[in-house]
Parts: sequence; C-alpha cells; structure tokens
Amino acid sequence: MATKSIGRKPKMSPWDKSQLIWGWIFIAPTMLGLLILNFYPIVDTAIQSFYRTMPFNRGNVFVGFENYINMIADAEVWQSLINTFKYAIIEVPFSIAIALVLAVFLNRKIRFRSGYRTIFFLPMIAAPAAVAMVWRWLYNSQFSLINNAFGLHVDWISDPNIAWISVGIIGVWSILGYNMVLFLSGLQEIPGDYYEAADIDGANGFVQFFHITLPLLSRTIYFVLVTRVIGALQLFDLIYMIMDGTNPALPKTQSIVFLFYKYSFQNNQKGYGAAIVILLLAVTMIITLLQNLFQKKWVNQD
Amino acid sequence: MRKIIQILAAVLVLATLCIGLSASALAADSTAPLEVVIWDNNQQAGLQAICDLFTEETGIPVQVVVKSWDAYWTLLEAGAMGGDMPDVFWMHSNNSQMYMAYDMLLDLTDYIAASEVVQVENYMPEIWELYTYNDRYYGLPKDYDTIALWYNKTMFDEAGLAYPDATWTYEDLLNAAKALTKEDGSQYGFALNPSNDQDTYYNFVYAMGGSIVTEDRKSGYDDPNTIRAMQYVGELLSYCPPNTVMSETGTDVLAKSGQVAMITQGSWMVADFKQNEYMAENFDVAILPYDSVTGNRASICNGLGWAASAFTDRPNDCWALIEWFGSKEMQTMQAELGVTMSAYNGTSDQWVNCAEGIFDLTPYLQVASEEKTGDGNNMLVLRPYTFNSTQWQSAAQQAFVAAWADPSKMEEVCLSFAATMNNLIAQEVMP
Repeated sequence: MATKSIGRKPKMSPWDKSQLIWGWIFIAPTMLGLLILNFYPIVDTAIQSFYRTMPFNRGNVFVGFENYINMIADAEVWQSLINTFKYAIIEVPFSIAIALVLAVFLNRKIRFRSGYRTIFFLPMIAAPAAVAMVWRWLYNSQFSLINNAFGLHVDWISDPNIAWISVGIIGVWSILGYNMVLFLSGLQEIPGDYYEAADIDGANGFVQFFHITLPLLSRTIYFVLVTRVIGALQLFDLIYMIMDGTNPALPKTQSIVFLFYKYSFQNNQKGYGAAIVILLLAVTMIITLLQNLFQKKWVNQD
Repeated sequence: MRKIIQILAAVLVLATLCIGLSASALAADSTAPLEVVIWDNNQQAGLQAICDLFTEETGIPVQVVVKSWDAYWTLLEAGAMGGDMPDVFWMHSNNSQMYMAYDMLLDLTDYIAASEVVQVENYMPEIWELYTYNDRYYGLPKDYDTIALWYNKTMFDEAGLAYPDATWTYEDLLNAAKALTKEDGSQYGFALNPSNDQDTYYNFVYAMGGSIVTEDRKSGYDDPNTIRAMQYVGELLSYCPPNTVMSETGTDVLAKSGQVAMITQGSWMVADFKQNEYMAENFDVAILPYDSVTGNRASICNGLGWAASAFTDRPNDCWALIEWFGSKEMQTMQAELGVTMSAYNGTSDQWVNCAEGIFDLTPYLQVASEEKTGDGNNMLVLRPYTFNSTQWQSAAQQAFVAAWADPSKMEEVCLSFAATMNNLIAQEVMP
C-alpha cells in the first residue's frame, strides 16, 4: 500500500478496508490481553515506584525518587543483580552450546531419534515448581541421592560458594530441551545441497559445522540468545522453591526478582519492590539493545 | 456469508458478557457454597466435617479450601485491595492489626452481643486480645497453641539418661543435648534454626526474663536477659547439626528421620507427628524446662481467630458459620478430632485423648495452667506482635543466620538487630 501512495493519503478500496477491519478483529484478543495484562501493570508499577505504599494501597504517599535513592545505596540490591548475572552466565552459554550440539546429533538419522528428542524435551513439560522440588532433594546435604551415591558431604545449596552453580545447573537442565527444539527447526531449514557440495569438496563434519551450520543457524541462535538472556534475568521460582529464608547461601544467590518478591509480598513495601523491578526492566532493555547492536556483526542477514 | 460471520461474532461477544454478568449475580445466592480458606492442610478434614454438620443444620453448603501460608496471605491481601475476599477465613496475630485497622474484616461486635451461643467470657482472653481493635471484635477465637519438648525415648534409653520431666532446668537440657550428641555426626542432641522462633527460642527468651517486643513497643533484643537467652542458644548450637543442614531441612524432618534427640515444637504439629511412624514409635512429649535464675517456665501462646470479609454479600450466613465454629459443641469436636486445642474454656481436655497411646500430650495443657509444675512457675506469653510483625520477624530470621554460623557473634547480632527492628517498628504507620 505504501508504494502506491507517495505524498498523499491512500484511498482505500472496500477490499482494503475490510482487510483492515478484519485484521484488527483478529489481533484484538491478543492486543487486549497485552494491554490489560502486560502494558497496564508496567505503567502501574512504574507509578508505584514513586510512592511509599501503605497497607492495601490505601493512602500511598508520593515520595519522588526516594525509593530509587534508597535502592542505589542498598548493597543487597546490587548483590542480587550480580547474583542474577552469575546465574545468566551459567545458564545461557551452557544451555545454548549443549543444546546446539545435541540438535546437530539428533538431526541425523540415528536409532531411537524421537525417543532421545522426547527425553531431552521432558523437563520442559514439567512444572518449574515440581522440577525445583525434585532438585531440592537431590541436592539435600543429609539425604540426597547425589551425596549418598558418591559418598560426598557437599552443601550443594547452602554453601555460598557452590549454591549459585547448583542453581545454574538446574537452569541449564530445564531449558536444554526447549533450546534444542528451536535449533532442530532451524537446522531443518538449511538445504541439504550445501552439505552435499561440502562432502564433494572433501570438508569433514567439523568444518561443515563451523562453516555451514553455524552461519546459517545464526538467526535462530540470536533469537534463542535474546529470549534466554531475558528469561535468565527473570530467575525466581528455582530460588524461591529451593532456598528458605534462613539459608546461609541466600544473600549470595537470591536474584533480583526474588528480592522484588520479598519486598512487595512479604515485607509489604510495594513501592520499594516496584523500584527494584523497574531497575530490572532498565537493565534488561539495555542488554537487549546491546545485543541488537552487536548482532549485525555475527548474525547472517540474508 | 460475511453478514453471518459478523452476526455470529456479535452473538459470541454478547454471550460471553452474559455469562460474566450472571456469574456475578449468582454470587449473592444463599444456596451457593460459602468459601472458607485456611492454610493448614492438617486441619482440613476435621474442619470440613464440622462444616458438613453446619450444612445439615442450616442447608448452607460450605467449601473448605487450603492454601500454602505464603499463597494464603498473597490471596487475602489481593482480595482485600480488590474488595473480593473469601467469605470466612483465619486471622493470625502477625497480620490481624493491619486488617482490623483498615476495616477489611466484618465487625462481629453486634453479632456477638446478640448471640446466645457466643459469650465472651467463655473464650481465652489472650486470644480475644489479638482480634480486638478499638474495643470492637473482628475475630472469634478458634484455638490456641502452646509449646512442649519432644524427645526420642530410644536415644535416651541408649544413652542411659532419664527422660525429661518437670524438674528440668535449661542447664539440664544443655547437658542432655551434650550427652546425646555422637561425635561421628550421626546423632545430635538438639536442633533449632533461626526460623524456629515461636516454637523454640522465643520460649527461652521469656523464661530467662527477656522479651522480643517490650511493653512500649520497642525491640527486646538488646535486653541483657534476651542476650543471655540467645547466648544459651549459642551454647546449645554446639550440640545441633551444622547450621547449613538445619537451613535446608526443617528440624521436624530431622527429628522424624532420627537425626536429633530433642526438639521443641508447637501443639499444631501433633496431627502431623501422629501420622509419622517413626515419631509415634520413638518420641514422647515433656513440659518445657524452666530457668534456674528466674524460676520461670514460659511457653509462647498464639491463637487463630475466625474472621469474615467486610465486603461479603452474606454477612449473616458468614456469622452463622463463625458462630457454629465457636459453639461449645463444635469447639469440643475440634479438640476431639485432634484438629487443635480449642479456645473455648475447658474444651481442650478432649484434645489430649486424640493421641492416646501414642504421645502424652498433657504437657501442652499443663504449661497453660497458671500455676507451678515441678519447681517452675508456668507463664503463658502471647506471641509477640506489632502492627506489621512479618517484616521484623523475617528480618530477624535472616540477621541471626550470621550468629548461627558463628555463635560467638550472638551478642553483637542481638544488639545490631535491636537497632534494625526499632527502625522497622518506627516506620509502621497506623491509619
């Protein structure tokens, strides 16, 4: 339509008009959902972050930037942000690298292929809370399968130096199958001709992987990277289910969303909680923007 | 064709609207079930039985729903803000002040005055205190709980020690814990985590003359007697599992799995312990020790209240149900079924029988009698609370993690936490 009209408002044919109306009708449910369930709460949270909230939100007091000023001086907030990054640094690269290798192998014709695919995807269909509960007992210092099977005495989830890695491992394990499925669908879009040609030229599997598979899969990898980084920054349920409030490792493991939950829902300080979550929003947006800038350097644009 | 689709779409939209409207219209119907929400799974079966009798009597169906503790308060708070709470629910001293002050609960004063079943003097005055605000009643006492010492008979026999009894002082507890701790880490004398406040260390503090919240609403953690009690906790920690272990696994689970010889626990855990084969076979109950300096034996006491939503369309039905729960017969039944001890005076004797032949539950009642048992003066202390207790309670649990890891820091943590807590209390704003 834009090409037809240069400099003046396009006149709509009845067909275009009806297309437009039906287009809106079809996206209306999603749009309404987004506006009511996502957009409105974001705005509301942003507004709330400028208030000292009272019980049941009755008579909240406008305090300007007080919550933000307190937050900047609060070491716990920055420690939680660091904890969240530490988790992301384990979850994102490992879950992508391992899933990529798995996807390449499971894209070949091997026996029990769909069986393996199902096994790797299974953690994805289990509820995150259930996954966390099972791992909590796998890691338990007294009764765990891991400690007893190998005769270890490791405090997997209460030693501040280890707990963040333990949580990261669960993260990788849970998301592996999902990343793998996305990579599989990306792999299936790569035409077989390239590999045939490479075979004739005498390139081995290793060379093929780095010179054909990786470049042609880069757009899928970019998509997975962006969504996983955002997902990792939102870490909450694993920490909430696995660690109790008196866990000595909690200060070095709790994520920024966990801190938001603590202030908003346990301590009744919703204004401060809102400020914390706005910080997370800002951090997420900056990181995504940076990824968007740098993607031109490595993502295949054709 | 398009016309038909448009008409169909319009009809669909209208239909959804109608369903929505009729659903809200139905809510006021008296044949719809009253929604009762609680947080303790152990009590559901017993309370549903009591509600079923109510339905037989009045024809009003009742549905009892259980939530987890965290989910319960999130649901209730969201409901309170949106003006749509469950009909009838429990109140707890942690939050009751806030809900009463902000008019979220149905005022029961006039109903109580008009009632023939509910007479104020028949219920424990301590529990009334928790649910009274500006001389108006917002909750009917449901139950009360006290604390007692659980000990593993098998481990005591093996070590050749006499079972704990009313003559025990806190020194005796410490010595027994020492004797029952094995060096290879397979068995420990005692267990308490910073989260075991009401059921464990608060009791020590009040017996030794300290306090958690003083009478003028300040922190009691800097009181020398509180510090003495917390230093006693520090000594006791030498005979407890490592703090990392206790932070991962609850002390009740450690007791159930035969790793610790003694814990102190609230009467609300009896229903759960009774069902555990290991506990039933090896454990029994003794009264808490007393402090040799003060001569006092203190048990923290708390009680829940039945409350109703201030926004309910059916206040009379809600009151009818609350009155039913509060009647002497149903309070007795609650105790008999072993749900909990009851707040109605004299009905809790039946509760002791719920574990007949398994545990001797009399220590829970003895400590509530305001007299001497053995050489200790019994003291019943209401669970300490302020306007927003949750905030300093969870802060205390986190602050004491450092002292648990290194008990020599106990005094330091007590003093610094007292300042934190005073700060938090000062920020509490009453409407």
